[in-house]
Amino acid sequence: MQLVERLKHSIATGAIKAGEQLPSVRKMAEDLLINPNTVVRAYRDLESEGIVELRHGSGVFVRESVEARADVMRKAEPIMRSALDRLESLDLREDEIRRVMENELGLRRAAKEARKRRA
Amino acid sequence: MPETVAAVSHLTRSFGAKKALNEVSLSVPKGAVFGLVGENGAGKSTLIKHLLGLWRAETGSVRVFGLDPVSDTVAVLGRIGYLSEEPDLPGWMRVGELLRYTQAFYPRWDTAYAEQLRDRFALDPEARIKTLSKGQRARLGLLAAEAHRPDLLILDEPSSGLDPIVRRDILEAIIRSVTDEGRTVLFSSHLLDEVDRVSDHLAMLHRGTLRFCAPLEDIKARHRRISLHFERPPAEPPNVSAAIRVDGAGREWTVICDAGRIHAAALAQHLGATLVEDTAASLDEIFVAHAAH
Repeated sequence: MQLVERLKHSIATGAIKAGEQLPSVRKMAEDLLINPNTVVRAYRDLESEGIVELRHGSGVFVRESVEARADVMRKAEPIMRSALDRLESLDLREDEIRRVMENELGLRRAAKEARKRRA
Repeated sequence: MPETVAAVSHLTRSFGAKKALNEVSLSVPKGAVFGLVGENGAGKSTLIKHLLGLWRAETGSVRVFGLDPVSDTVAVLGRIGYLSEEPDLPGWMRVGELLRYTQAFYPRWDTAYAEQLRDRFALDPEARIKTLSKGQRARLGLLAAEAHRPDLLILDEPSSGLDPIVRRDILEAIIRSVTDEGRTVLFSSHLLDEVDRVSDHLAMLHRGTLRFCAPLEDIKARHRRISLHFERPPAEPPNVSAAIRVDGAGREWTVICDAGRIHAAALAQHLGATLVEDTAASLDEIFVAHAAH
């Protein structure tokens, strides 16, 4: 889960570019010290979302069609930083911030789904 | 079905009136990183000693590579690499002597690999083992366990009391072992973040009984943490049938469930509460819930 998010972020910000090859499962597992199955699963998830393609025998590549969202992501960063500054000034801990964030996102998701159901 | 490297069936072991292991059955699939967790005294080391053939099963059976590790000790131990929390290394020996001595037991000892690890761990072959720090001793133990490229690497609380750099060396050895096609690792630990990152199978022992044993993903998918808010503090803790732990006070309650995805909103409604959060429980929460259950 975390690895998928990290890879998506790298691709979105252009740190890993369209057409580029991702490290082998083995290298990724050894570099990050995580179970190789976790890497396999992350690559599979990215494939099912159409972000990468598995070319048999040669590896995992970022699809050419993936558009870098680098500009948008860069705009998001200062907004996030100032929000975090304000939250930290309220003496909120990291896990509390994450909880508030998750909760707000969850509420939005639920509201969107409810609207969809009503429509 | 994946091949099984080690299988334990209905294993019971008593020390006096205390059951160190009680009807434990589990199997370790080939190629897995199998994490074994539990509090001190839960039976982890006792189980490992049976796998190594150091103890004979009183009741039940133990098979490693399909063999009985007690009667086929040589065949089994020749394919196992073992590192314990306090590696029992002869203090009077020099590092180089110990490696030559260990090598003699393992026909598949890889001299070049051993040398590469010795270099990486900065172990001086002339140093007497008793002069080594705890961390260096752990590295030496790891080298001795790993250099014959064992089919099964067993680590019993390998990270206990070690600094983060040595712990990293141990995690690297674990990952290296499984990325080398077909090898298997079993390790016990109380450091759940380590277990979480490197293992793909997880078993928990609690007072000698097996609480769960499954692929890590399944265990995580099964356990949910549900937070509830009550307008009026309930007189008693909320009663949830799938709960393995209910925690809280006053208006705020948290329930850890072991039942897959349950309809948390309906549950909240049934209890007359508002659903605050329904998320995957962390490994810590799962562990604590099962240890208290």
